[in-house]
Amino acid sequence: MSIIELLRLALSRLRTSRLRAALTMLGVIIGVASVVALVGVGQGTTANITSRLNALGTNLLTISPTGKGASDGTLTLDDSEAIAKVDGVAAVAPEVSTSQTVTRGTTSTDTTVVGTTAAYASVRAFDVWQGTFLTTPAVDLGLRVAVLGATTADNLGITAQDLGAEIRVGGIPYQVIGILQPKGGSGFQDPDDQVVVPVGSVQKYFVGGDSVRTIGVSTTDGASQDTVTADITALLRNRHELAPSDDDDFNVFNQTQLLAAATSIAGTLALLLGGIASISLVVGGIGIMNIMLVSVRERTREIGIRKAVGARGRDILAQFLVEALTLSLLGGLIGIAVGLLVSAGIGRLAGWGFTLSPTTIGVAVLFSLIVGVVFGVWPARQAARLDPITALRYE
Amino acid sequence: MSAPIISLAHVSRIYEMGHVTVPALDDVSLDVHEGEFVAIVGPSGSGKSTMMNILGCLDRPTAGSYSLAGTAVESLGDDALARVRSRTIGFVFQSYNLLPRTTALDNVATPLLYQGIRGAERRRRATAALGRLGLADRLDHEPTELSGGQQQRVAVARAIVTEPALILADEPTGNLDSHAGAEVMALFRELNAAGRTIVLITHDAEVAAAAGRQIHLRDGRVAA
Repeated sequence: MSIIELLRLALSRLRTSRLRAALTMLGVIIGVASVVALVGVGQGTTANITSRLNALGTNLLTISPTGKGASDGTLTLDDSEAIAKVDGVAAVAPEVSTSQTVTRGTTSTDTTVVGTTAAYASVRAFDVWQGTFLTTPAVDLGLRVAVLGATTADNLGITAQDLGAEIRVGGIPYQVIGILQPKGGSGFQDPDDQVVVPVGSVQKYFVGGDSVRTIGVSTTDGASQDTVTADITALLRNRHELAPSDDDDFNVFNQTQLLAAATSIAGTLALLLGGIASISLVVGGIGIMNIMLVSVRERTREIGIRKAVGARGRDILAQFLVEALTLSLLGGLIGIAVGLLVSAGIGRLAGWGFTLSPTTIGVAVLFSLIVGVVFGVWPARQAARLDPITALRYE
Repeated sequence: MSAPIISLAHVSRIYEMGHVTVPALDDVSLDVHEGEFVAIVGPSGSGKSTMMNILGCLDRPTAGSYSLAGTAVESLGDDALARVRSRTIGFVFQSYNLLPRTTALDNVATPLLYQGIRGAERRRRATAALGRLGLADRLDHEPTELSGGQQQRVAVARAIVTEPALILADEPTGNLDSHAGAEVMALFRELNAAGRTIVLITHDAEVAAAAGRQIHLRDGRVAA
């Protein structure tokens, strides 16, 4: 019997019991749809994380203190200046941040106040939209001038015309000299919600001491991040007078490491979700097996008749196997369509768009075929082995 | 006389039920020649059904040899038996045994499917067979839409569609009223007159009387 004959038989059989066929397929549909949707979501998340990290600047190193009382900080402005002289370093921006209420007139907002130097814009890849960024003289003199992130400016109702206006940061008056270009992205930490002021003023008015929270370093194009990291580590160990047996009291984060870590986490997450979803695929397969076993029993007489008029065991086997495969494959195809719709919907809601992955679809089709064979072969063998005499007498 | 189509030589079929052995057929020898219309008659328990299973190649004898249309079938495997059934035998059963939810046309075409004949040819031959039995206007009817007599005629069409050497009928009138039963018997005589070999198995002496020769079975043996 040709495969077309077998398909025709299977389809006409499924047509006569549509509801049962639909319910049986539902298991596979749900399984395949959740695999496709969750893998799609996983891929979307990965792409999203990668693009956000890239927006932060790929040649960025971040140095932060570790060990006891990290907030005390072992990093200083002098460290920052020393790092600036390391080979391959393009710019260095020490950062001290604090949470403050910022007011303008009667409008106020809670935001992050970052004390830093003029290099901050180039290290963190910010562009100025209006006015100017912090200048080195302003930073050296510790002037009370502020550059607003786009979101903060918006919250305070400050537009291009309001440059030079006075705001109060934690009660201290500052003059607005610039507004930053928005970076976009709507994560739970908005990079556009911040006030950038000279580092000295934050140390003086808000946090005290002369330590800094982090030091951002941008490397020159073509410089090896690993080499620069090693040089900075050596320099800081020397400056902090650490014995060879001591642990570092600081950490140098490499943007590419961070990217790799984040991507790998997202990949693991996608795999985990896909794994959970494939459990439902297996359950769907068991549903098919169940229905096929019932069907073999119900159609015992039909099997007997077919054998009497000349069907061999393998003809019966093929008939029932193709029926199970038709169920699983049809369910798989519907499941793929549903899964793609769901992941497109989620992608649209989350704002990372939608990518159609041929691999996922191929794997989903393959899986539903495997489910059909694995869970269809046993009932089909049962059918093929029936003795025609008993099958004909079966009521 | 021509060579026998059916030749049973010392055929026994013994069923083992636990420690008890039941000989359903006990040393049966008989020949059926081409063009004959033979009735195998016997009360229930006489071994009729076992005879039907053996003759129909649905079962193998425990001992003895059975040659069908020149093929020794007692030693064939399941697939080979299926092939013999497909090429050589047309079955007509008491309870029609049509495929449910399948049109008369597809029912009649099913044996051809297992001979590997293509769709268009299957339809042509099945239509012709149904036409010969006066069912040309019932091609698309499913078994539940047909009367008992019509269903049995569809079954006869299915039996003759492969042009088999032997038509094997097991109580073909058992489920029919006397009128429809008489029609089916007339059909068998017609087919026999056209040269077909028919073996009819029945407990009904009246039905058996329609056949050209009667073989009486009693307790698994051929009665004299």
